Amino acid sequence: MKSSYAYYPGCLASLSQKELDVSTRAVAERLGFSLVEIPGFTCCGAGDVHEARPEYSVHLNARILGQAEQLEQDTIMTICNVCTLNLRQANHKLREDADLLARVNANLAEVGAATYSGGVEVRHLLWEIAEGEGYEKLKEVAERPLTGVRIAPFYGCQILRPSKLLGFEDPDRPQSLERIITACGAEPVDYPSKIKCCGFPIVLAREEVALGELIQPLAEARAAGADAMVTPCPLCHLSLDAWQGKAAREADIDFDMPIVHLAQLIGAAAGLSYDELLFKRHLVRTDRLTDKIYAETSI
Amino acid sequence: MEVTLQIQRYQPDDDESRLDSFTVDAPETATLLDVLDQIKDEQDGSLSYRKSCRMAVCGSCGMRMDGAAVLACKTSMAPLVEEGRTPVISPMGNLPVIKDLVVDMEPFWGKFRAVQPWLEEDGDPPVKEWRVQQQELDRIFKEALCIQCGCCVSECNSMEADPDFLGPAALAKAARFVGDARDRGRMKRLQMANGAHGVWDCTRCYFCNERCPKGVDPRDAIAKIGGEIYAEGMLSDKGARHAQVFDFSSHATGYLLETALVPYTDPMKALDVKFALKMVRAGKAPNPVKPHRAKKLGEVRALSKLVKEQEKQDLADKRKGVTTDRENES
Amino acid sequence: MVRHDVVVVGAGLAGMRAAIEASRYGVDVAVVSKLHPTRSHSGAAEGGINAALGNAGEDSPENHTFFTVKGSDYLGDQDAIAVMCEEGPGDIYELEHMGAIFSRTEDGRIAQRPFGAGGAPRTCYAADITGHVLLHVLYEQLVKSGVTVYEEWFALDLVTDGERCVGLTAWDLLHGGVQGVQARAVIMATGGLGRIYRGTTNAYACTGDGMSMAWRAGVPLKDMEFMQFHPTTLKANGVLITEGARGEGGYLRNAEGERFMYNYAPNAGELASRDVVSRSEQTEIDEGRGVDGCILLDLTHLGAKRIMERLHGSRELAMDYAGVDPIEEPIPVRPGSHYHMGGIDADVDGRTIMPGLYAAGECACVSVHGANRLGGNSLLETVVFGRRAGAAAAQEVRSNGRGGVFSPSAVRVAEKSIRELLYNFDGVRPAVLRTELADTMYEDAGIFRTAEKLEACKATIEDLRERYAAGVIIQDKSTTFNSDLVQAIELGSMLEMADCLVTGAVARTESRGAHSRLDYPERDDENWLRHTMTFYDDGRARLDYKPVTITEYQPAVRTY
Repeated sequence: MKSSYAYYPGCLASLSQKELDVSTRAVAERLGFSLVEIPGFTCCGAGDVHEARPEYSVHLNARILGQAEQLEQDTIMTICNVCTLNLRQANHKLREDADLLARVNANLAEVGAATYSGGVEVRHLLWEIAEGEGYEKLKEVAERPLTGVRIAPFYGCQILRPSKLLGFEDPDRPQSLERIITACGAEPVDYPSKIKCCGFPIVLAREEVALGELIQPLAEARAAGADAMVTPCPLCHLSLDAWQGKAAREADIDFDMPIVHLAQLIGAAAGLSYDELLFKRHLVRTDRLTDKIYAETSI
Repeated sequence: MEVTLQIQRYQPDDDESRLDSFTVDAPETATLLDVLDQIKDEQDGSLSYRKSCRMAVCGSCGMRMDGAAVLACKTSMAPLVEEGRTPVISPMGNLPVIKDLVVDMEPFWGKFRAVQPWLEEDGDPPVKEWRVQQQELDRIFKEALCIQCGCCVSECNSMEADPDFLGPAALAKAARFVGDARDRGRMKRLQMANGAHGVWDCTRCYFCNERCPKGVDPRDAIAKIGGEIYAEGMLSDKGARHAQVFDFSSHATGYLLETALVPYTDPMKALDVKFALKMVRAGKAPNPVKPHRAKKLGEVRALSKLVKEQEKQDLADKRKGVTTDRENES
Repeated sequence: MVRHDVVVVGAGLAGMRAAIEASRYGVDVAVVSKLHPTRSHSGAAEGGINAALGNAGEDSPENHTFFTVKGSDYLGDQDAIAVMCEEGPGDIYELEHMGAIFSRTEDGRIAQRPFGAGGAPRTCYAADITGHVLLHVLYEQLVKSGVTVYEEWFALDLVTDGERCVGLTAWDLLHGGVQGVQARAVIMATGGLGRIYRGTTNAYACTGDGMSMAWRAGVPLKDMEFMQFHPTTLKANGVLITEGARGEGGYLRNAEGERFMYNYAPNAGELASRDVVSRSEQTEIDEGRGVDGCILLDLTHLGAKRIMERLHGSRELAMDYAGVDPIEEPIPVRPGSHYHMGGIDADVDGRTIMPGLYAAGECACVSVHGANRLGGNSLLETVVFGRRAGAAAAQEVRSNGRGGVFSPSAVRVAEKSIRELLYNFDGVRPAVLRTELADTMYEDAGIFRTAEKLEACKATIEDLRERYAAGVIIQDKSTTFNSDLVQAIELGSMLEMADCLVTGAVARTESRGAHSRLDYPERDDENWLRHTMTFYDDGRARLDYKPVTITEYQPAVRTY
């Protein structure tokens, strides 16, 4: 863990998933690192721009990396799987290919944007608190253990795969979320599809296919007796939370599965309140979880 | 070293599969395939699996180890023994099981054939070879590494939900031709890949890249085709329009225009009032009148425009393909 | 029972090329293969394919012919070699037009690199996955051609009407059951038999089935004693490291770090012919200058960039199967059985002595390799003679409308023998015999041979054949994907072919090319400049001989 990061919340946390941004900032304060704003950052383009306009995608992400460099920060903190992969993918390409870096920098300079020398690391919040100093700090601040709460970790895809670009842990047997859940005093629930896809990238273009993917983890987590699922990605969150109703109708199962952001889980264990963590901003009511957590403290 | 495997067994007449446990004393260098051979030779001759080259080039021995598709001949057992694991060996996913670890590959080859996987010509080729720069061929080298083992297909999350999805192997094969400067079937291929079960079915789970034993990176190959479809302005598919919203909003406001995403991708979905109301109630509906705007937007707009010009040149080159004089040599 | 005009057995490079060519003549073509076509062992070829394109310096088909003749230790038929070398360039261009991604020169032409004893940089390549690239290109063309493919059909026996070949019987591996395949012409393209040796580079599928089928049907096999040992194979499992590694400048070193090849081949060094390099290596190892039974293939001086670009696949193999990254350290390698020069006696159009039966590729002996094959010539052979056999078979079908009579009893006979195999409950598991065979071949019929060892080997094989005939135990009794059964049938072919190989080796009392007799160390042109012909005689190998065709190049002393 570092004392400060260039903070890249990405689009979703800045917009509809505001609760993620708010709880991340609150948690950062407790954990003792500062988040330095990147003025004028944009969307990373997600898998969409990466696919549709690969050249532009590299530029878009190079600009963000360059902005972080300008702030004299050597690490960007992300809170979204997709942003993490996009930024790291671009970073990898730019570092591997000197010609590309030169070409991109020439274009960035031409439009008056910050150029990039290749010196920035991109790290997800999850990685920073799943081991080392961050993990020790997490155990310290988790002053309200979530005893008796069963949490199903849902990793999603783009924080595990492709592992040659992400590579924090074994992509088939990840343990980081489990460690954090345990550190928060809760009990991790295991189920096979915790590493599979939530369907979000195609939920608008191929809803039936996406729902087919979404049902699997929801059903398995439900069957494993989870009180809630936690995810490090706001897109997985949106899929699991906002599309849960449709998935329930499709599968004819009442999942009633609260979906929480990683930062919310940590925040709850760190003693932050229901309101501070904006649990009310979820489509699936979080009562099944939050009633347990906030049982003693009135909310 | 002592190796124990749990192997999923199935015969055509069985109601369901069962797990059999086998232990063998294998050499340190043994691969999963070596261990299976040892079991077949010494313990149970009826154990069935495909194999041939035992050097990761023929693509016969794709199977799952603890749920993850591997080539048996490329999987060294020593590390597992060290970890004390007794892995479960099962057939590949997304393909019908015939017997034990043998799956029916016909659905796989059907999709392979569906992408018309051969170089399209128009007219006679040159007398000697096509003059092609190495860099041109390097663009399809990764796709050309594919051995059609099916490990990517086994794990494809989209194919689980849509069995008709062309899938990572067939689309990587298509990409191998789309990227070949000698091919004359580019537009036909893009149209095919732009179909209902084509590239826009891909959910970007990256299991294919992760599992591929040859470094083909099928997801990247799919993205290459998607990129060319997009560059050609083929926006008939919801997937392409979805991408267009991301492209547009990245320089229009700097943030994803969530208000535009649904109606532009799929106008019918925009009529889903009940869903929209739920989003509003949770506070998740963005302000359609005054969208969030990034600072320094001018930079990104200029950047997008500048790169667009360069992309156009690239597209023109791709459309042209190899332009060697056919009578270059006699 | 299925019927086609031309049926090709085997779907590697030679088989697919034959099928594609035959289909161009508008005849009905089918392929029968025990593997899906892209699983064929041609895909494991790494280094390249020779043709005198002259893209990397002066070269000519004549030059190619000469070095091939010399490499064959003058046992190759010079007319056949000339055909291959003259037509080679055209076949390379055709493969390129089909889409093969050959590596390129600066000006965009097909790149060529030197291979052992070639005399010029003549080997075209697609990095170090040339066979893989060509196999998939031909499969693409096969799919395009619409040729019927009977995948995972295991060919059992050729069927004749007493005079001509009228088809074959095959076991449908997936569904069970013997199938009759009637044809007006059959092309054998079933590959080699490397699996009779321990530590081979060959795939499990290389069990000599096709040669054995032809032999049993009365077609002679030629030059069976000539087995090539490749100088650079990995210790643990015999996996091949391409000759291209030396073509790109790799060194062979002994335990003392010495580049010992110059002691044996003062001019060519590491790029002497394969028989010479393998013998030199074995001598170093036998005389105590090896490293744990190996010598070292050192690529470290080539640098990471060149290794990654040109030898990417070999690096991966070394890392996967030897735990060595060749960028960092040398790869321990040893000679291993690799390619069988002998095979079904066939002419330049694939014709055998049996009307209606053709052969091409490694299972055939057109005699372009003689006593020792040059690296890069086997892929060329597959496409040149595959194409020629396909054309000749199709033309024969078109000009001679009448096929023979396929007697249905052939299917019943095959069914009976399968039943007998399956329902035998006494004896040993096939693997026991297979292991003993591979061991004796490796120990007693390897790089250096003597009468004593060969006789012992022959006796062992006879014993194994007797035990096999007495019955082996097949544990899998099912009809669905019964690989236990298929492997037992393959063992039968392996035993027969090993017998033919060793019988020829015992008789040939000279050293020529890959056949190196310690008790007869010299080449003996007076007595042995002739092909060994092996006939089927009531289950035994009966030898005869026929002259070598010499046109331009008189036998001369062979030094590198």
